[in-house]
Amino acid sequence: MNDTGLASFGRGDSGVIEGVVGALPSSKRLADLGFVRGAMIMMVYPGIPCIVRISGRCVGLGAEHQRSIKLSTM
Amino acid sequence: MSVSLPTQVESSHAVVALVGNPNTGKTTLFNALTGYRQRVGNYPGVTVEKKNGVMRQCGGAAKVELVDLPGAYSLAAGSADEAIVLDVLIGTGMHGAAPDAIVVVLDATNLARNFFFASQVMELGRPVVLALNMVDLAEASGMRVDTDALAERLGVQVIPVVATKGVGLDRLRRAICESIETGAPKSPLDFPDCVRTELEALRASLAGPEPGSNHVPTAVEALQTLLNPGGYHETRLVTQHGRALFEELAERRGRIVAAGESLAEVEARVRYAWIGGILESAVTRSRTLGEPRSEKADRILTHRLWGMAILLVLMCGCFQSIYAWAGPLMDAIDGGFAGLATWIGAALPAGALQSLIRDGVIAGAGAVLVFLPQIMILFLFIAVLEDCGYMARVAFLLDRWMGLIGLNGKSFIPLLSSFACAVPGIMSTRTIEDKRDRFLTILIAPLMSCSARLPVYILLIAAFVPNRPVLGGVVGLQALTLLAMYCVGTVVAVLVALVLKRTLLKGPRQSFLMELPAYKWPSAKTVLYRIYEQAKAFCVSAGTIIFAVAIVIWALGYYPHPASVASAHDAQRASASKAHTQRLEEISGELAGATAGVALQDEPQVAAALAALEGVENAFSDRVTDRDFAEGSEGRLAARREADEGIASIVAQFGPPGRTASALRQSSEALEQELSLIDKSESGAYLRQSILGRMGAWIEPVVRPLGWDWRIGMAAIAAFPAREVVIATMGTIYNLGDDQDETSEGLRAKLQSAAWPDGRKVYNLPVALSIMVFFALCCQCGATLATIKRETNSWRWPVFTFTYMTTLAYLAALVTYQTAIRFA
Repeated sequence: MNDTGLASFGRGDSGVIEGVVGALPSSKRLADLGFVRGAMIMMVYPGIPCIVRISGRCVGLGAEHQRSIKLSTM
Repeated sequence: MSVSLPTQVESSHAVVALVGNPNTGKTTLFNALTGYRQRVGNYPGVTVEKKNGVMRQCGGAAKVELVDLPGAYSLAAGSADEAIVLDVLIGTGMHGAAPDAIVVVLDATNLARNFFFASQVMELGRPVVLALNMVDLAEASGMRVDTDALAERLGVQVIPVVATKGVGLDRLRRAICESIETGAPKSPLDFPDCVRTELEALRASLAGPEPGSNHVPTAVEALQTLLNPGGYHETRLVTQHGRALFEELAERRGRIVAAGESLAEVEARVRYAWIGGILESAVTRSRTLGEPRSEKADRILTHRLWGMAILLVLMCGCFQSIYAWAGPLMDAIDGGFAGLATWIGAALPAGALQSLIRDGVIAGAGAVLVFLPQIMILFLFIAVLEDCGYMARVAFLLDRWMGLIGLNGKSFIPLLSSFACAVPGIMSTRTIEDKRDRFLTILIAPLMSCSARLPVYILLIAAFVPNRPVLGGVVGLQALTLLAMYCVGTVVAVLVALVLKRTLLKGPRQSFLMELPAYKWPSAKTVLYRIYEQAKAFCVSAGTIIFAVAIVIWALGYYPHPASVASAHDAQRASASKAHTQRLEEISGELAGATAGVALQDEPQVAAALAALEGVENAFSDRVTDRDFAEGSEGRLAARREADEGIASIVAQFGPPGRTASALRQSSEALEQELSLIDKSESGAYLRQSILGRMGAWIEPVVRPLGWDWRIGMAAIAAFPAREVVIATMGTIYNLGDDQDETSEGLRAKLQSAAWPDGRKVYNLPVALSIMVFFALCCQCGATLATIKRETNSWRWPVFTFTYMTTLAYLAALVTYQTAIRFA
């Protein structure tokens, strides 16, 4: 599993989500919003917070949430 | 939070709940289905509680009551408003019975995540209809949804609608009415065995031998209880079933995890897999999507530098507009009320009734209504920003800054709403998931300068801050001062938050998580309706609280109205008249050949001279008002010199009758001025002798260090229940204590001319600043305190808020005044 995750993404980079980690309830909230295994995620505006595109819409993510998202090795 | 649905037994009509993710157009659909005929149970512009309305044209005898609920992402109920949605849908005690049917509104352009929530709702055991909203936008982007195939697969009706255009509404109404008869859909999802076993066992253990008053949780509720440790479901069930439930849940969770499942991911995995399956067959895309337009706009609008710059420009623009657009309107209303007051003065005989209407009602309530245009402009800005989707970007941009005070960007939106009114702002904190963050946001919300403070700022700035362009002519000094006042509240809020985060409300900072909805053109209908609702609320408030307080203040300032004051001043008037008569006799003695018995001014020559002198004076007045010369200015002095020369030449021209006429004029003018001063003194004496005046004498030593006189002090105190009252109170106090003839002056002019007994002007820039700073920081709103109590469920926090704010306000006003007079 790729450890660098979203933090290393630049604008336009994309990846496939492996899963979410981290404490409840924060991680479950993320999963419920669609950040699940197999979903495609694209970085629109990197930074803290960042903006990602997932399932066709944009979501703003803070630092902790960015770290929670694990990506598959491409 | 008391909301209640009518129970089945009490009413003969059906109740249908409208739910869905945020930003799906629920409220627009609700408005369209009920034709804007609603009973609004909460504050305008914010769906934080339920809103009821009757659906039109259902066909058949039954009436259908529609209930609009706040947006929710999940029945896990992570935030307070999601908890409300859950409670209403399952029909727990305080909400009455569960609805007869549920309409889930989905955003057709965002189906996957919307279906997550829909799939949970479909497991509640109630009839469901899916309303697929914004199909026009979906089709425009090349997406087609086969709603019949979906309906077949899901076993519920799926109706495409476009709420903003009213498309598909009739079909939806029919579907709703039919679904009430049809019954609940079957739950389509298959959870892993380990989860299912624990679910069923949990439900069995909760159903137990207890009496039926305990609500038996449905499968989806049991699921949420298991998967959300410490969450709303668990808390509620533990309250009902006892603390032993904690252990049972921990054990069950342990077994699920041991079986290799993740509590955080299992539900999402199962649901999204199912959703993927059903959407695959029903949704087709005719072309691949490029960068959405919203994202193109966001390149600039969420840019850390340019985005912030644009935000600041927007804010400045808002303040500048408040002055530029509203100014003429304000003057018109002000003039209208002043005219009305003069008419009342003429129409009614002098006395308590005339004073009540003119000084209490008109000067009071009228003074506040003058500010309606400004407030509406402020609401317009906020409504447009909310409706077009920009608010989420503001939250994103400010997240970093909010982080400096320990909050995240999501807290900014309630704070921004609080700039209009803290009450809905505080209520909208229900979307904040973390309890501590929510409390902190609630406690600093009242420091955001609300619209009720705007009249105070505008009145004082217009009267005492010169209207000069600064910053290269881009912005006016007045608008800048207004901005500065808003900053005062904001800066103090930051400091208070910093302190609280380190002391009473310590906790980790919550990471930002927020959807940025696609931008859309703000709907004129929605925005105008929102402004109308808020203007109506403002007028109603003006019509009730302010009216009531204005009357009370008037009464306190009018009574006891002792006759001794009247007789003392009548004596002065008599002696002034006598002196005038004596002067007239002396003057007539001078005029040789005066006809006995004919009044001096009717002597033909004298009359002619008087007319000529009148003409010169009139010409002078006209010239001064036409050119708007200020007192003591060059132009005015020059005009006066010319007028005086004109008078001298007329006197010379007419000879003795001319001198007589001039002397007559002077004596009459002297009498008028003296009578006017006596009137003013009489009014002042009445006011000082009144109950209000005596209370004021006590207040004065306390407020002197702030530069205030007792009248400002009394007005500030009267404003504690509702700060809008201060303008009304000042209007009344200054009217009561003023020359009764000068009702044509607005409150602004009265403030500018108000004086201490020794003649010094009461108001100047330092005093105005100290008043504004006091109002910026003081908690003068009963409604806000009541809302804080309701939202935090305790008296501790409103008392704390009131205390800290009032103390800060006094100290800040003190420092402001004492500093400002050193520089003035």
